[in-house]
Amino acid sequence: MDKNFNSSSERKLNCRDVGKCFKLLESILDGEADLESKALLDEKLEKCQPCFEHFHLEKVIREVLKTKCTKRVVPVELADTIRQKIQEIK
Amino acid sequence: MSEVQRKKYSDKDKNAIFDQEFMPHIDSMYNFAYRLTFDEDDAKDLVQDTYLKAYRFINSFERGTNAKAWLFRILKNSFINEYRKKSKQPSKVDYQEVETYYNSDNVDYNMTSDLRVDAVKDMLGDEISNALNSLAVDFRTVIILCDLEGFTYEEMAKILDIPIGTVRSRLHRARNLLKEKLKGYAQNMGYDTEEDQ
Repeated sequence: MDKNFNSSSERKLNCRDVGKCFKLLESILDGEADLESKALLDEKLEKCQPCFEHFHLEKVIREVLKTKCTKRVVPVELADTIRQKIQEIK
Repeated sequence: MSEVQRKKYSDKDKNAIFDQEFMPHIDSMYNFAYRLTFDEDDAKDLVQDTYLKAYRFINSFERGTNAKAWLFRILKNSFINEYRKKSKQPSKVDYQEVETYYNSDNVDYNMTSDLRVDAVKDMLGDEISNALNSLAVDFRTVIILCDLEGFTYEEMAKILDIPIGTVRSRLHRARNLLKEKLKGYAQNMGYDTEEDQ
């Protein structure tokens, strides 16, 4: 799926239907698209520079959100406190 | 919790469901709660309240179904009902105004960003987190649910009580706002965001 960024000279520089294309690309990245839509992906990335750029930017945004966002450790006593409270309401 | 009560679980079943299906999500629940409240004590209270409600209404949970989505929905509702009012993060925008705007399903997909892929890749975890945290709570929430927690559009629609079309449009707007924030960081890092790749 990752195409070489340097091959952009072969792609058209304007997308005729940005709205429809970007919606499709975002659905694919969110795991929502069907197989038929996925089949269109390679073609779009191959031929259209705005789609190519949008796809890769959206993809990297999702990746950094998933991997880089600071995660907090659950306070150790929280699970015990919850179990204790549940014993009380039983 | 709106589901019809199907059956009554025995105490043994309740404990099994609670331990095997509910408690494994405490880590995600706490992180979601913290990203909503930005306060450790409020996050702890919110998670605790959610688990107590989950136990109280356990008969309306169907064993083997999506416990994480069910718990997230309870947590989100508790946040709206009890915590949003006293949240220590003041709302930066007038809520009604934003709500009217983003509840529309008509999204302008023509908006393109000149943010560069390499600039995003080089960003630090703190910058990504700060950009996310700076978004209004409803935009922040859809990104957390989709990108950090991996929920589907359908699950998000159920958690948030909104149509799937609204999930999609809100996500698109949220990511555009995030890109604007990240573009600010990229410019500070010395990346030329105006230049084409």
